[in-house]
Order: sequence, then C-alpha cells, then structure tokens
Amino acid sequence: MITELLFATFFGLLLLGIHRKVIARIQRRPGPPIWQEILHMLKFSFKTTWVPATASTALFVGVVLVAIGIWTAALLVILSGGSLLVIFAIYMLHKIVEHGFGLSSGSPYGKFGGVRSVISAASEIPLFVTVAAIAIFTKSLMISDIVAYQEFQGPLLFTIPLAAVAMYVVLLSKMPFGPFSIVESKELVSGYKTEHFGVWRAGLEVCNGLKTYVLLLTFILVFIGSLPFWMILIAMILITVSLSFTCALSPMLSPYDSVTIQTLIAGLMVAYVAILGVMS
Amino acid sequence: MNEIGGAPLFFLEFGDIVIYFTPFTLALFLLALVFSVFVLVSRPERQLEIAFGGDAYYAKEISLSELRFRRFMSIACGLACMGAMVTGDVFDFTLFVSLVGICNVGIVAAVRSRHVQNAAYQYGLVALAGTVPMFAAAGMVAATTGTLSMLELAKGTATVPVAARALLVLGVMGEGMAPFYAAKAEMFRAPGAPYVIMCSLSSLLIFLRVTEVILLI
Repeated sequence: MITELLFATFFGLLLLGIHRKVIARIQRRPGPPIWQEILHMLKFSFKTTWVPATASTALFVGVVLVAIGIWTAALLVILSGGSLLVIFAIYMLHKIVEHGFGLSSGSPYGKFGGVRSVISAASEIPLFVTVAAIAIFTKSLMISDIVAYQEFQGPLLFTIPLAAVAMYVVLLSKMPFGPFSIVESKELVSGYKTEHFGVWRAGLEVCNGLKTYVLLLTFILVFIGSLPFWMILIAMILITVSLSFTCALSPMLSPYDSVTIQTLIAGLMVAYVAILGVMS
Repeated sequence: MNEIGGAPLFFLEFGDIVIYFTPFTLALFLLALVFSVFVLVSRPERQLEIAFGGDAYYAKEISLSELRFRRFMSIACGLACMGAMVTGDVFDFTLFVSLVGICNVGIVAAVRSRHVQNAAYQYGLVALAGTVPMFAAAGMVAATTGTLSMLELAKGTATVPVAARALLVLGVMGEGMAPFYAAKAEMFRAPGAPYVIMCSLSSLLIFLRVTEVILLI
C-alpha cells in the first residue's frame, strides 16, 4: 500500500506539472519543467515552518492531516474496488478541507478563499448526477461491479456520455488555473492556502497529487473500465492534457459567473438524469 | 443496491432501532468525530482587520462567553451529526438532522453583529421550514410501509412513495443551507473558524447521508 501511495502522490504531482507545462506552451511561455510540482513538495518539506500567531493552531495543523488522510482513504477505496459513493463523499469533503485551510489562519485572503469554496457548492451537484446515472445502469455503486459491468456491456462513456461530461466538469473545477478556480485566484494571493507554508504546504501538495491521481483514476475506471496499468497512465496524461487545453483557452470566471455557470450545468445534468430515470 | 455504501461492518441493536456502520457511514462518522475533537481542543483564530482611516490593523478577539456558547453548539452539532451518519432509522435520521439545523442557527447567531444575526435569522426560517417536509416524509414512510427501519426498507418488501423521498430531500436541503448563511456571515468577518466549519461539515455530511438513504430505501 505504501508503494501505491508514494506512486500515486508523485505521479499525481507529475500530472499537475504537465498541466502547468501545457498551459504555458499554449500561452507561448517556456513554462516550468514538468517535475516542478514534485520539486515544490520536496522544497517545502525542508523549509522553516511555524504557525501564524493569529491562527487557530489545532485546526491550522489538523486540517493538513485530514486532507492527506481523506485522499489516502480514497486511494485505498478505489484500489480495493469499494463504493463509488465513498470516493464522491471524500471529494465533497475536500471542500471542508479548503474551508478549513482558509479560515484557520485569520488572514482575510485565506478566509475569502474558504468562503468562495463554500459558495461554489453547486460544482458538486454533477457528482450526484454521475452517481445516479451509473446506479440506473449498473444497479451497483461498487467500483468492482461497475468495472465488471463494462467488460460485458462496453464503456459507460458511450452509454451515458453526458454523465461523463458531468464528471469531466467536476475534474475541471478542481484543476488549478481553470475557469472555476476562484478559490485560489490571484486577487486573493493564493486563496485558501495563502498562509500555509513550509511543511504544511508540502502536506497540501501531497494532498493535491493524491487528489489528481484518484479523480483521474476514478474517471477512467468508471467510464472506460479496466485497462492495462500502462494504458491507464497514458489515459490519465491524455485527460490531463485535454483539461490543460480547456484551462488555457478559457478565462478564469468571476465568482458570480463561476457559480452561475456551475448551477446551470448542474440543472441540465439533473434534467438529463431525470429523463434517463423515466426512460429506463 | 443494498450495499451502496459498501458491505456492512458492524450492527448495534437497541431493540428495533439499529445503528449500522458501512465503509461509507463509518467514514462520515469518523470525520464528524475528528472535527468535533478539533472544536473541543481549538481556540478560535484571531482575525486580522484593517483599521479604517489609517495604515494600522488589529486582531479581533472572541469573548469568553461567546466562545463557550459557540463551542457548546458546535459540539452538540458534531454529536447530532454523528448520530445522523450511523442511524438505521428514518425517524431518528430526521430528528438528528433537525438538531443539526438548530445547532447551526446557534453557531451563527452567537456572533454579536447585526449582519451576522440577520443571516442567522434568515437561515433559522429556512431550517424551520425544512423540518416540516422532513418529518412529513418520515410519517409517510411509516404510514405506507409500516416500518421506519432502513434495513427493512432496503429489502424492497414495501415501496417507499416517491413523494416521501422527495420531501425528505427537500427537508434536508432546508436544513443543509447553513453554509451559505454562514458564508454570508463570514463576509462580514465573523471570526471563529472551528465553529463555522462545523456548519459546513454538518451540512455536507447530511447531504451525503440522505443520498445514501434515498438510494437505500
């Protein structure tokens, strides 16, 4: 398990590095090397660390451990073919982590990052839509059952393409520098993570790496099915590159527009699942 | 579809009321527990504010009486939340969720600021309105199926009306609106991170649990 955990962390960080590189090349900048996020994580691990005088100490430190803990649990669940509902619960609880990061320091920048995280709750609704659409077809939410279903019936990507789009939007909303990345936009310095530095930031980087790996792996297993391991890695890179293109070619929305568009997407997806439910 | 949250790990029976743990409910229960412990051991952050008319800034302090009340409400919220996560009874679930709503009103309303108390008042009205469809849903389930046990309902021997499910979701949505009002209060710089986070966490947890309940029954 430790090997898988380390691999997931480093590969997830590598994907985030590829994401930055692709965005930079589209914008005609050289960009950082693709292993930059790994270097960040290592660099922060050895930097001077303390807790700000204004912070709520237990929460400031504890939320970093919670962040790593929940995504480690998510990796464990997905590797053991557990319930998709648990993965999605963890994804939603990541919002609490962002909120906790932002609020615990006492900094107004962090606080507004946390508040933005709360008001963009509509971005989670497509997750329920995905769960509901999958449940209608596979009659199970166990990842092992969903993968087995696709071996006989073909990828769910072709059966319920709009549910895959909903999940893709969910992935997009969690990618840095994307149209919905209002929680860490530049007018808030680094948003919810502004005051977390040193080892705390290294912990956050580990969490980001794990989160990216787990979400992409979930997308592949749920909508494409079982693939050889090397093909899963290539699929992850391809999905990351497509997300990078979307992020590079679309401006970061204002908080109001971001919430409005996410709500509209959520509404459309709910209508789609309602139609699916009636038809089945 | 009976094992949507994973295979059951443990049952705790109190007569016909059964508490059960699946990987899903256990994960939610543990998170509620962890954040309740944070509330118990954390002191609130001291929020930095700019002093208007100069280049100074100051840190806001929370008074001891306010701190005690909000901490009490947050721990009560955490306990109610833990109950809502593991109960196997529809009525108990609605009861715990309504308690979460009441505690969330208390957490927000304790801040001595007109803007924050307005937000708490508005949320209080929404939460109050949310309890009606929620208890109505529990009543409809009992009347139409003869049981409130989620495990019995999951066997599929009796069909839960769609209206009852819809009312249950509507009620939980009303109770779960807390983060929006808490966020509104925070925009006026209400301090007290560990307590406000309990509002967000509890709302998210009850949304997640009601998803499982709806798919289960």
